[in-house]
Amino acid sequence: MNNLEYLFAANVFVWGGIFYYLFRIKKYQQSLQNDLDLIKEAIKKGLQK
Amino acid sequence: MSDETKESGPLLIWFTAVAFLIGMAAIFIYAPTEQMEGAVQRIMYFHIPAAWLAFFSFFIVFISSILFLWKKEREWDIYALASAEIGVIFCSLVLITGPLWARPIWGAWWVWDARLTSTLILWLIYVSYLMLRYQTDVGSMRARFAAVLGIVGFLDIPFIHFSVLWWRTFHPPPKMISPEGLGAGMDPSMVTTLMLSLGAFTLLYFVLMGQRIKVEKMRDEVERLKKDYLYTN
Repeated sequence: MNNLEYLFAANVFVWGGIFYYLFRIKKYQQSLQNDLDLIKEAIKKGLQK
Repeated sequence: MSDETKESGPLLIWFTAVAFLIGMAAIFIYAPTEQMEGAVQRIMYFHIPAAWLAFFSFFIVFISSILFLWKKEREWDIYALASAEIGVIFCSLVLITGPLWARPIWGAWWVWDARLTSTLILWLIYVSYLMLRYQTDVGSMRARFAAVLGIVGFLDIPFIHFSVLWWRTFHPPPKMISPEGLGAGMDPSMVTTLMLSLGAFTLLYFVLMGQRIKVEKMRDEVERLKKDYLYTN
């Protein structure tokens, strides 16, 4: 009695969950960085006028 | 951010990666196969650390929420949010790996016993906590409501822990913390493997917290700049 498929599925879910969360944080960070760059650019242009 | 803090991030990530490599080697090579349950018992080395991390995360939510209500500092609100997200991720993993372990052993994916039901309730409480945070407008009222929910939700954790002792449940009593002693009744190599896995998961918590806090502070910066420069001009 080994039931390796259950052990395999548990591994897939654990690692999938961890990497999915890390990927989501990274994506959110990139989107915020883009916003931050755009805002800083807009502020710089506004100050130059 | 100081240079020291900048350097500690990648170091912690590498340290966590190495801890997981050692942990995985222990789980799949060093730990013996359980005689009754077979290889599927190795799910324990993911299931228990995930449960520990979920409880630890919600404990941090509890402490941070109390400190936020007391001191009214955004910093504590950020810690509570970051920890709640991590807690929900790992509580979800507990609720997934548990049935995957139960199916071949109990012959059922799920039973409505006290331990499983109270864990599901805990998950629902913190999912609603996150929904409250994401669905309502930014502001101190939202943070206050969330803090109260974060504190109340934690009260379910002692109930989860003692449920297997108070009632007759399908779920076995605690393996690591038992009246006979730490890890009593388990093979010493299984205890070592479980401790390694617990250590790796705990390090992962700090990595995820560091990343999530950084992003939330970045979001605050974006909001502040929008408010101060763009909306006023």
